Amino acid sequence: MELFLQTAIAGLLLGGVYALISIGLSLIFGVVRIINFAHGELVMLGMFATYWLWRGFGLDPYLSILIVAPLMFGVGVLIQRTVLQPILSSSAIMKIFATVGLSLVLQNLALYLWGGNYRSVRVAYSTATIKIGGAAVSVPRLVAFAVALVLVAMLFVVLKRTMLGSALRAVAEDRDTAALLGLGVSSLYLVTFGIGAALAGIAGALLMPFTSATPTIGVGYTLIAFVVVVLGGMGNTLGALLGGLLIGVVETLAGTYIDPQLPHVVVFGLFIVVLLIRPRGLFGLGRGTEEVGLR
Amino acid sequence: MTRFGKVGAGVFAVLVVLAVPYLGFSEFVLHNLVLIMLYVGLASAWNIPAYGGQLSLGHAAFFGLGAYASTLLFLHKDLSPWFGMLAAIGVALVAALLMSVPLLRLRGPFFTLATLAMVEVIHRLAIYLRSLTRGSEGLTIPFKTGWAYLSFTSRAPYYYLALGLATITVLASWLIRRSRLGYHLRAAAVDEEAVTALGVKLVRLQVAALLVSAALTSLFGVFFAQYVYVIDPDTVFSSTQFSIQPALAGIIGGMGTVAGPVIGAVLLTPLGELLRSSLSGSQQGLSFLIYGLVLIAVVRLLPGGIVSGARNVSGRLVRRRQSGQPASGPARSVGVGIGKEDA
Amino acid sequence: MSLLELESVRKSFGGVRAVDDVSCSFEEGEIVGLIGPNGAGKTTLFNLVSGLIRTDAGRIRFAGRDITGLRPADRSRRGIGRTFQVVRPFTGMTVLENVMVPLLVRERRVSAARREAQAALDDLGIGHLADRDPAQLTLAQRKRVEVARALATRPRLLLLDEVLAGLNTAEVAEALPFVRSVRERGVTILMIEHLVAALMSVSDRVLVLDRGRLIASGPSDEVQRNPAVIEAYLGEEPTNARG
Repeated sequence: MELFLQTAIAGLLLGGVYALISIGLSLIFGVVRIINFAHGELVMLGMFATYWLWRGFGLDPYLSILIVAPLMFGVGVLIQRTVLQPILSSSAIMKIFATVGLSLVLQNLALYLWGGNYRSVRVAYSTATIKIGGAAVSVPRLVAFAVALVLVAMLFVVLKRTMLGSALRAVAEDRDTAALLGLGVSSLYLVTFGIGAALAGIAGALLMPFTSATPTIGVGYTLIAFVVVVLGGMGNTLGALLGGLLIGVVETLAGTYIDPQLPHVVVFGLFIVVLLIRPRGLFGLGRGTEEVGLR
Repeated sequence: MTRFGKVGAGVFAVLVVLAVPYLGFSEFVLHNLVLIMLYVGLASAWNIPAYGGQLSLGHAAFFGLGAYASTLLFLHKDLSPWFGMLAAIGVALVAALLMSVPLLRLRGPFFTLATLAMVEVIHRLAIYLRSLTRGSEGLTIPFKTGWAYLSFTSRAPYYYLALGLATITVLASWLIRRSRLGYHLRAAAVDEEAVTALGVKLVRLQVAALLVSAALTSLFGVFFAQYVYVIDPDTVFSSTQFSIQPALAGIIGGMGTVAGPVIGAVLLTPLGELLRSSLSGSQQGLSFLIYGLVLIAVVRLLPGGIVSGARNVSGRLVRRRQSGQPASGPARSVGVGIGKEDA
Repeated sequence: MSLLELESVRKSFGGVRAVDDVSCSFEEGEIVGLIGPNGAGKTTLFNLVSGLIRTDAGRIRFAGRDITGLRPADRSRRGIGRTFQVVRPFTGMTVLENVMVPLLVRERRVSAARREAQAALDDLGIGHLADRDPAQLTLAQRKRVEVARALATRPRLLLLDEVLAGLNTAEVAEALPFVRSVRERGVTILMIEHLVAALMSVSDRVLVLDRGRLIASGPSDEVQRNPAVIEAYLGEEPTNARG
């Protein structure tokens, strides 16, 4: 029982980070209308940036967020500007291929530059645990969860209460009218992709104290983010949060109780089952399910 | 060119293609030709659901399942790979039915993501089920030569086998495109809503396209196993090799046509091999990196692929001369803004 | 038995009642016009009838059968055809192929469908456009293709959504007898139009929607004098030139 609780909690905490990644993906899709197949690679870049900052300067992973976040924001803006902006009018299929291409480029660039070995960050608190209600909880996971939650909340506030948020929501709702109203749609796209990339990068930084990075690790995160977004309902921050937590728990429990090799299989299985019986998403909170392409 | 001239040229081309192994090419060239045939087939098979706008990046699943189905039967039940092909088709159909679940519910890019997820999962399962597949160690195909066992000591028979499979696949693609199914799929690729408003039961058709595509792809998996003698999960379920590369060939060549994937494969495969062989081990990733850059470049420059690009160029020239009306490009986006041009 | 019956149909988007408790019925062989200020819910009503969106409440009956739960493809097969306000031809396919698509729903043989499609195009006076890509055509031509395509589904009821929009005066003058000829073939027609005068000249009766509600229904001259209708349109001039 204690193992169960511990594992479940660990999964829940990890789920917070998953939610963070997924919300970035969801935001990009909502505003820019592009499924970013390279989203996991942005997480990977965040992980590696954190690693090199730690390795080169001994910078604590959490502190490095201060550098990684703006760095990844810049990367996101660059990607949007150079790769995606010119193809925004292409068909959906073509946009998929562009981001798949981007994913290949980033993965293999990382492989070329840094090799395929796993990189880990070792800090004093890497293996520290604290007791919560009798279960041993990993400190890095707890911190990751807390930070992720704060960021999700902040994003929620930004979207609902600020001018920028309103502008983003307007573009998401109706691009043409927003453009007519004088909202600089291109600039908003840049900002959105930048934010999405920054969130992914921060997630990477948060993961480093308890995860090892390798150039190909991004694919798994893209897929998890995708499952979370579909399950939680696209365009729904709360849904993404709940979805992230759920997937985190399922994945971690599957890893412990079924087999460490199979967590993705279980997650995908859950995904198929949910698609079959509740396509509107587990929580039925999905606003525009047509947007996520549900029939 | 006269009608007779065209037929003559066609016959000549066919003869050349058939005579290839005896034209004195080196092993390396022959190997490349075999690969070209393989990718012509894979790209054409991949293209069938793509007619309908369904972009799968999960075809490596069917490929790998085909390879494993056939090989396991060969190893454990001593069944010839000919039977293996039937088993491969069976397994691929089951997998395609599974893949149809997201197809039922998800559109466009979301379906594509789901297909990617599926390959990942099957890949990992293949590694996990060691008792069956010997995991990452892989399986070795029994060495029994002859047409009964689809194993040969020279390349020529492999070439003909691959050519045969590719021909069947291209033929299937052609037949589908000119059939009722083809028309409905092509309309769906432009505008799914409009096509269902016309009474077309789209999902059934898309599932059918996926099933055919999966079955054909699995046959190439069987071929591959027999050609390389050793299979392992990382190779046969490789997304880049057997999902993305055929798709790339299809896109570069032109997705909506029969000839497109063929041309794309003929152009791309030797380039890919050249790239792979000229880069040393640690630089392997560079070939994929270049693939990625090519993908991005293609999307920017030729949204319709080479075939439609060529048509477009000649179309523009002809139209300008005739009516002075501005020529329009190929359909770029689904249903957006098409009717607004004159308003 | 009416061909089409709507019973207390409702549809909201977010907080907005796009269609608010609309009940009406349509008899076989009528040409009925549907007018109303912008945003009145006309196209939404069409989308509800053709099945593109689901009702929040209310029932829809077609030829006596309840079709409220049916999807667009099934409704099309039952005999409801429609055109779209912003025409949606299948670009990348020829005009002929566009018309073949709905024909192939019932006709299994491609060659037969091709012949029938050419005949349908000839019938509508656009046979010479068979091999063109719709993207190259004028708007008036594309509208004809759209109608040809909708007619190829052999509908009993045809929903025309602003089929006259964007046409110049001459084109409108050509289109009106064409609409009547479609009715001669036994197709009941429901048309949304902003060109109110043109619409009234061709309709047997007119329905008026305002903010989702049905505010008037009857012969054109009656509706034109209806104070509620005048008020709804206050400030809107009937137009008969470009939109």
